[in-house]
Amino acid sequence: MILLEIHNRVIEDILTLKFENALAKNKPETVNVTVADFDGVLYHVSNLNGDKTKVVVSISMKFFKDLQEHGADELIKREYGSYLTTVEDGYNVSLLFDLENVPANYKDVVKKCGLLKRNCFASVFEKYFEFQRNEQGGNKRAVIQYRDDETMYVDARTDRVTVIFSTVFKDDDDVIIGKVFMQEFLEGRRQYQQAPQVLFSHRDPPLELQNSNARTGDNIGYITFVLFPRHTCKDAQDNTINLIHTLRDYLHYHIKCSKAYIHSRMRAKTSDFLKVLNRAKPELKVKEKKTITGRTFQAN
Amino acid sequence: MAATLKPYLTAVRHTLTAAMCLENFSSQVVERHNKPEVEVMSSKELLLSPVVISRNEKEKVLIEGSINSLRISIGVKQADEIEKILCHKFMRFMMMRAENFIVLRRKPVKGYDISFLITNFHTETMFKHKLVDFIIHFMEEIDKEISEMKLAVNSRARISAEEFLKRF
Amino acid sequence: MAGRLPPVVIDNGTGYTKMGYAGNTEPQFIIPSTIAIKESAKVGDQSSRRLGGGAMEDLDFFIGDEAIETPNYTTKWPIRHGIVEDWDLMERFWEQAIFKYLRAEPEDHYFLLTEPPLNTPENREYTAEIMFESFNVPGLYIAVQAVLALAASWTSRQVGDRTLTGTVIDSGDGVTHVIPVAEGYVIGSCIKHIPIAGRDITYFIQQLLRDREVGIPPEQSLETAKAIKERFCYVCPDIVKEFNKYDKEPSKWLKRYESMNSVTRQKFEVDVGYERFLGPEIFFHPEFANADFTVPVSETVDTVIQNCPIDVRRGLYKSIVLSGGSTMFRDFGRKLQRDVKKSVDHRLRMSEELSGGKLKPTPIDVQVISHHMQRYAVWFGGSMLASTPEFYKVCHTKADYDEYGPSICRHNPVFGAMS
Repeated sequence: MILLEIHNRVIEDILTLKFENALAKNKPETVNVTVADFDGVLYHVSNLNGDKTKVVVSISMKFFKDLQEHGADELIKREYGSYLTTVEDGYNVSLLFDLENVPANYKDVVKKCGLLKRNCFASVFEKYFEFQRNEQGGNKRAVIQYRDDETMYVDARTDRVTVIFSTVFKDDDDVIIGKVFMQEFLEGRRQYQQAPQVLFSHRDPPLELQNSNARTGDNIGYITFVLFPRHTCKDAQDNTINLIHTLRDYLHYHIKCSKAYIHSRMRAKTSDFLKVLNRAKPELKVKEKKTITGRTFQAN
Repeated sequence: MAATLKPYLTAVRHTLTAAMCLENFSSQVVERHNKPEVEVMSSKELLLSPVVISRNEKEKVLIEGSINSLRISIGVKQADEIEKILCHKFMRFMMMRAENFIVLRRKPVKGYDISFLITNFHTETMFKHKLVDFIIHFMEEIDKEISEMKLAVNSRARISAEEFLKRF
Repeated sequence: MAGRLPPVVIDNGTGYTKMGYAGNTEPQFIIPSTIAIKESAKVGDQSSRRLGGGAMEDLDFFIGDEAIETPNYTTKWPIRHGIVEDWDLMERFWEQAIFKYLRAEPEDHYFLLTEPPLNTPENREYTAEIMFESFNVPGLYIAVQAVLALAASWTSRQVGDRTLTGTVIDSGDGVTHVIPVAEGYVIGSCIKHIPIAGRDITYFIQQLLRDREVGIPPEQSLETAKAIKERFCYVCPDIVKEFNKYDKEPSKWLKRYESMNSVTRQKFEVDVGYERFLGPEIFFHPEFANADFTVPVSETVDTVIQNCPIDVRRGLYKSIVLSGGSTMFRDFGRKLQRDVKKSVDHRLRMSEELSGGKLKPTPIDVQVISHHMQRYAVWFGGSMLASTPEFYKVCHTKADYDEYGPSICRHNPVFGAMS
């Protein structure tokens, strides 16, 4: 697996099971599941007021307020329309599914529900892409505090949309590996002309953020994506959003995979060293000798 | 650079072979104890003066001899940040498995990356020349492995970046 | 702490891995503990061979059901007898379990992993090394499976009875263990294995069906036997009476099993008769299926407890806890309780007689506890404990790990017993 998936498996699994169960006319069972997703997102699947035929899927995002400023509500309404319901306490969006009334295209509905997090994220991008398409510059920069100590900035100019991620490396060693990775993002762009321009800076925020209160520090990195109209046009928009909203997790995932790979190399090498060291041990010559019937002689 | 590697390793090999003249020796300080003198350092007359063989500032070997034990500490080449953390990770990884390595010390001597402690009990049960071979093999391989790991990390980074960018 | 994301609970068993988020009653994923990799046929030993090939080839793998379904890959089972054998593969298994299945950023979640009784401290260190160094988890706790199974039984007990002393009967597909636990610590020297588990019951039923039913397609006979076992089997108090019952009123007791031939797409039917109670009966009469092993499970439980230190025996008899899929048969617990009780009472009577009636021993309370969570008892116990605030206190944190090294994970303090 190189790219991360964008849908949530647990949610899809639960809903598919529920719908299929309902279609097979099995007795509905209670459900009450809380699961997490990347970027501190929480899902809660439960029954509405204990009614086993009504399933509520709620999502909570710490940064939903930030997204709301950029039209998350409208986007959710557009995507989920009739499934929206009163928001569960402590969550940001709730969807209601009626098992007595399974939609014919329930597979698509399940898919869509699995993309709930992605769609919330999409709102801010869609808005700024729209700005760019209308050649509206000079808007206020969007600031999304997408994790406790990591922020995303989106800014639209007439000819480009800039997306800046700040990311924190929890481990000192990760900073160095992370730097190698980010460096390669710069290099990689040369080969793929259609890709957006990538910049990164370590410790200090890039010039665009100089007047903001962006954090600085040894373990902080900033990645800037400059998206051109090629990426923000209607046809490419969804793909761009799919990719860019997972960037942070993608980067951290690959840093972790690299460390796992280093571990397996080290295991291989260590066992190799051990083999060489064991050569220094003289082999034990005394072998137990057996008679044909399998008995041993004891020489005293 | 590579030209200096051979004489460096040869020097280490000869010094090690010479230093590996160990004999059983009971502690002079505590009755009925037998301790590696190079570690306890309680009696000066049992210690040999340590030898440092160095190829450059970072790559060096410290060989400390004594009557019944011998300590070899190795400084490993670390050209840049990434080699430094890889080396650090690798050494820690090995030292965690010191039990299997018998001669590996759980902590390196200060200023070095990894240390081995060979006592007379080791030389009595194992071939001396093969032990020397092991240390030399280790020194040869460790540099190679670290640079290979560094390359691997780099190429992984490149591929993952490309995979991501090419989807746009 | 409010707003903290739920801990991740992963129970890696030999056959199946149960994983999910703490606080839920069921694991979110139950997948085979298998991993499918591309293995090149190069020379050299296994570990160096694996490193070869193109870069990032180590990301080309599948786990769980996907591993079994994907052709052209070699499937491997990194866990043997509950103990991790291949750490390279295990690390990658976890990698995908976390990122693809649970979709958790491991830096944000505490982790609770399980280990079998008698796992080595080194293995715990290796686990910690992977979790803290590769995945940067903020906190880790490694719990013993049997202890979690005990904790899981708290749901069906009164608050005052919640102890971590008890005997765990853990029966999965491959093997059954009887594990005595005293105050959260496993009495390792007294663990006993029973070579009878789910698979043996399936084989036994398959054998019975093969002798009688002709309609079952041979390639589906194992599957059919398994389905019958899971759907119809139960434990009866007395086989002779049960046989009579069936003979008197066959219509009431005989069941029919229907299925489809996967090749010809034709339906076939199977009569399900005595095997309904004979299958699980091999726990109590192993000689039915295995000529070499004749000790009934109740006797093994009794011996295990008698081997334990005398001061914990009463506690061990008082909570005999079932865990694992093969303990799910109806009335399994009841019959076990009756049989164990019988031998205990017999022993007490003997000692009373031997003392000439001078000694009146206090009766021993024997209780076998069944509950709803039996199938994933270990995972559920983990989920329950990991959602208590105390969990965060006993976890080893990344700061501790960086400060003291992997050895801190050798010991994982028992907790949760006082509530």
